Amino acid sequence: MSSFASTPTKVTWARLAVYRKVAGLQLVRRNSTRASTNVVNSDIVIVGGGPAGLALASALGSSSSLRKNVSVTLVEGGDLTQIKSWNPPPESFSNRVSSLTNTSRSFLQDIGAWSYVDETRTCQVEQLQVWDGISDARIEFSSNDLPSTSSMARLTENLNLQRGLLRHLDNIPEIQVLQKTKVTSIENDSSDRGGWPLVHLDNETTLRARLLVGADGFNSPVRQFAQIPSFGWAYDTQAIVATLNHFPRGAYEGPNTTGYQRFLPTGPIAFLPLSPSVSSLVWSTKPPIAKALLASDPGVLSCMINAAFRLPYASLKYLQNRIVDAHAAGTPLSPDEIREEIQWREHAHGIDQNSAYSCRTAGITNQGIPPADSEMLPPLVLQLQSGTMASFPLRFNHAESYIGDGSKGRTVLVGDAAHTIHPLAGQGLNLGLADAECLARCIQNSILSGGDIGSYTALLPYTQERYLANHTVMSACDKLHKLYSMEDERVVWVRSVGVEVLNELDSIKAAMMMTAGARQSARNSSMSSTGWALAGDAVASLSSGIQTAGTIGRIVGNYVDSVVGKLARK
Amino acid sequence: MTSILRRTRNASKWTSSLRFNHHSQGVRTIHSASASTTGTNSVNTDEIAHFSKLSSEWWDEKGEFNFLHKMNPVRIQFIREKMLEVAQAENPDLDSGDMLTGLDVLDVGCGGGLLSESLARLGAKTTGIDASESNIAIASLHAAADPKLSPEGTTPNLSYLHTSAENLLPNPKRYDVVCSMEVLEHVDNPATFLATCAELLKPGGHLFLSTISRTPLAYALTIFMAEDVLRQVSQGTHTYSKYIKPSELVQFFRDYPQQDKSNPLSGSSSSRPWISTPSGSNYLPRMEAELRGLIYNPFQARWHLAPKDAWGALECNYIFWVRKPMES
Repeated sequence: MSSFASTPTKVTWARLAVYRKVAGLQLVRRNSTRASTNVVNSDIVIVGGGPAGLALASALGSSSSLRKNVSVTLVEGGDLTQIKSWNPPPESFSNRVSSLTNTSRSFLQDIGAWSYVDETRTCQVEQLQVWDGISDARIEFSSNDLPSTSSMARLTENLNLQRGLLRHLDNIPEIQVLQKTKVTSIENDSSDRGGWPLVHLDNETTLRARLLVGADGFNSPVRQFAQIPSFGWAYDTQAIVATLNHFPRGAYEGPNTTGYQRFLPTGPIAFLPLSPSVSSLVWSTKPPIAKALLASDPGVLSCMINAAFRLPYASLKYLQNRIVDAHAAGTPLSPDEIREEIQWREHAHGIDQNSAYSCRTAGITNQGIPPADSEMLPPLVLQLQSGTMASFPLRFNHAESYIGDGSKGRTVLVGDAAHTIHPLAGQGLNLGLADAECLARCIQNSILSGGDIGSYTALLPYTQERYLANHTVMSACDKLHKLYSMEDERVVWVRSVGVEVLNELDSIKAAMMMTAGARQSARNSSMSSTGWALAGDAVASLSSGIQTAGTIGRIVGNYVDSVVGKLARK
Repeated sequence: MTSILRRTRNASKWTSSLRFNHHSQGVRTIHSASASTTGTNSVNTDEIAHFSKLSSEWWDEKGEFNFLHKMNPVRIQFIREKMLEVAQAENPDLDSGDMLTGLDVLDVGCGGGLLSESLARLGAKTTGIDASESNIAIASLHAAADPKLSPEGTTPNLSYLHTSAENLLPNPKRYDVVCSMEVLEHVDNPATFLATCAELLKPGGHLFLSTISRTPLAYALTIFMAEDVLRQVSQGTHTYSKYIKPSELVQFFRDYPQQDKSNPLSGSSSSRPWISTPSGSNYLPRMEAELRGLIYNPFQARWHLAPKDAWGALECNYIFWVRKPMES
């Protein structure tokens, strides 16, 4: 947009420190029922300043043709300056961590945002260890298994990424960022004015959007305005997150670059390395257990984290029940009591005090020769960083469409507004970034052909490309969750045999490998989607096989056939 | 008016100002009528009535005209690529840029303005004309809602006129680019229509046409499937006999401008034929004309521009470019 009619002079506007380059927006005078409301045309209005919204704005701003042709406004209710000035000490980490795939990272590099992410606060994962909580069947894979790249995912604090994106946006004055500004309501313009979305803000301004992007999270107001139904369910699961301090790995062990995940029937517990002596926890478990654990002394939680990676499930279940009961009775266990309980259980299982499976932290150092198998398990947690314990409910949610229709056209959803995913494969943020990349590319293509970027035709390729890709990943994760929640002996046997026999081809492995993004460049990598489809189908056929097949042998046979068949077809 | 138009119930009507030679091989020659005909208007009133009835549908992207909406990016791609190719041949240092910026562009049979809006967004000073008044009303209304097409305070890039191409001839204004997409198969007198479009160009100007070939495949897809089976397009939109083969179009510009002094439209600006290769040759000089197939992929719901000389690509929808020779 090269021209504008006048410059707004309202005091409310001047107050907005972040409202830069107001003159770049076009002001429209119109008869409005709302007194003293400025209606400003903006080609793209992004609601939501989370990673997906910021990445979209950054991607749009990184293209010179888009900067020239398209006005972009991002609206965020929260305080973004706080995130921009976020500057924690080196060994203190935020509890919200995502594993960025190579695909995501090369997207961020392409748009020039990655250089603003503090790479010293990120950690490259070199190896993953995943095992079944009941049978201990285990698979491990390392970056050496990957075809052409040396690393798997890179663990990155969400805040680090958000801060990087904001700093990148600071250098793109064409993109307006309105922070601490809430959307009060959204309505359609009059039909003789095309019915474009009017976004009313709490600063007396109304944005008239050619394209309204909902990057506004799970409860997306944009999705509600667009009347896009979404389907899904809440898992009966709560995810506990925390930042863990531990000893660095010793001289006889590898570096702290291995991710660990144990699939317990209550949900997976994951240990994600951040630095030599700090790692991040994501523990999905039943809500009463999560509630009791979070209410306990942090010392109790750190003991339980160690136990959750080490003790046989029967004992872990007993300990969890003890904690829940004690919490309900109003007499929570002390760290000493739980330590004693754990020691007793270890003794009962014949676990040697000096073995890697012992939870004893007293007197341990990282000196000397570590016990055998020490690298099969994460380092023992010594304490939790204060204030990092939190939890959130897990959901599966998928919008029925990513683009609005008919009179609710000119709307599009990205990130959590479009889909909420189980975090077991750490894919949520990556899906949001992939949405942003794809949408920015569609917008760019549409601009090149003189298209109306708010039109259904312009947005159709976005939904065509992303919907199935997201759905495949989402249902693979959902099915993995369900499969590993089962305690039924036959199911455990099947999935364990599956894990061990098919170590090279296994479904989880395929899924987890894809978290590495597999390839540096081509981000529309058909390879990664094939991998996910493979994982999804393998798990689907496994779980449906369990429900229907009469004999275990047949189930395993089907599973092997289907996985092998799929690979052969590849 | 675009991709898709109507089968006239009264086929005899449209031959009134035309002479056809239907040879045994089904070759049709596009002849200009002699000066004795009742006029040079190529507009068919039945066609106009048909499209006026549908005019409110133009901007329903999932409705009647969804194929056109999807075809639009591909047409623009061809226009941009071809103009860039020509410009780079003349100036090898030229970077790819906004090829259309500042050019005078005429969109004949603009319908709801699908192509016109895109041309205007790309910076062309675009005039969209249509013989249907309601189409022009719909197009104007739609553009008015778009601040980029109807900016306040500055002259818009885009304007619409309710007129026929023939009526613009007396006006001295000539254009850098004339586009007429999916119109040719709906006009009454293709020869007059083509000559009019040609006449409206500046020397060195570009003429872009897209239409449907007269082949069994085209009948099967555009009439039998689209109108009769899937009912995605209103019945009566297309008339098979009005379809024009690529070879017929090429032949017209091999013979154009005609040396026939009795035709007031011919040969006024240049006597060199627009396409210099002899008839019967399959070769089209790269800087004179080009034919490309437009292929719809129903699985992707997307149109594709077929590669040059792709086998069979011209059997149905195609796009044609020809350049008016520079004045010597």
